[in-house]
Amino acid sequence: MHQTDQELNEYLDNESADRAALESHLSACDECAARLSTLQNLFAELDSLPELALTKSLAAPFIPRPSLVPQLPRWLTLTAFLQAAAALVALTVAIPFVSTMLPQIETPSFTNLFIQLQTQWSALLDMLSTFHFPELEPLSLPIMEMSTLLIALAVVSIFWIFGNGLLLRNQNRN
Amino acid sequence: MNAPTDRDLILRARRGDSEAYGELVTRYQTGVFNVCYRILHNRGDAEDLAQETFIRAYDRLHTFDLEREFSPWIRRVAANLCLNHLDSHKPSAMLDEERDEDKTQSPGEQVEVKERSEQIRAALASLPSHYRIVVELRHYQDLSYDEIAAELQLPLSDVKSHLFRARKLLAEKLHAPD
Repeated sequence: MHQTDQELNEYLDNESADRAALESHLSACDECAARLSTLQNLFAELDSLPELALTKSLAAPFIPRPSLVPQLPRWLTLTAFLQAAAALVALTVAIPFVSTMLPQIETPSFTNLFIQLQTQWSALLDMLSTFHFPELEPLSLPIMEMSTLLIALAVVSIFWIFGNGLLLRNQNRN
Repeated sequence: MNAPTDRDLILRARRGDSEAYGELVTRYQTGVFNVCYRILHNRGDAEDLAQETFIRAYDRLHTFDLEREFSPWIRRVAANLCLNHLDSHKPSAMLDEERDEDKTQSPGEQVEVKERSEQIRAALASLPSHYRIVVELRHYQDLSYDEIAAELQLPLSDVKSHLFRARKLLAEKLHAPD
């Protein structure tokens, strides 16, 4: 009498009650040995299934995002404090001085500024249109007034602060 | 310096050190993902369920017996979650065809392994969910019949019959003449 599929499965799963009797039968029965061999092949195929790699880390939600400040070297942090202190001192000194100058500065209205820029642009275009290379004359740059200079400095400062903000934001993300 | 043991990491995680738990996740995430993938056969679902496994396990970490291994425990949590997922969701029509790679083999052998692995995964995915889970617990998590019965709260006779029928179906699919 042959072994049942259940008995062969139990044998390969090490759950067989009487292994010795089954092994004795298998050594004498080619048909049962062949069925066991087929089942063993299936076991081997299932057990050899390779592991797949993850495309993302699952640990991210559990690892706190490092803050920007601890990443900065100590000397840079100190420099930042020194810079802030220096800026405060400079402001304290500069404010009374600037306040005496402010009434003297004639702040141009936006329209005046626009007309001024347009005039300068037209003058530049005229100059370029009449430009002859062999008869090159020294260019006379438009004289920059104090107010224009202040506005330009303010614009540059805004760009600088904005640019630094972007840089810091990117660093913080990383 | 020696790497901290799982036990150390679990104790730290229990005290609220989520970074320690992150280290545990890094150690076992591939194994857990593969449990989910073998049962679900869909990468997106498997990654979501693997993530969910670690979140649930974090909440239940105080119930974990420190005298036991973490890996079998977390893999069993994953298998149970996947089983619940299968029970509550219809089978996804979008089953993946993953590519298994082994750099030590020649290109010809790699193609052969990939194709065979895909056939095995597809055959596993085609099994009814209650068959799939017993195959996972027996073949990939090395649980005994009694342990599977206890885990799935099934009679021992059901575990045996599910396993034998699952293997019969797998053999028919994998060894069928082309």
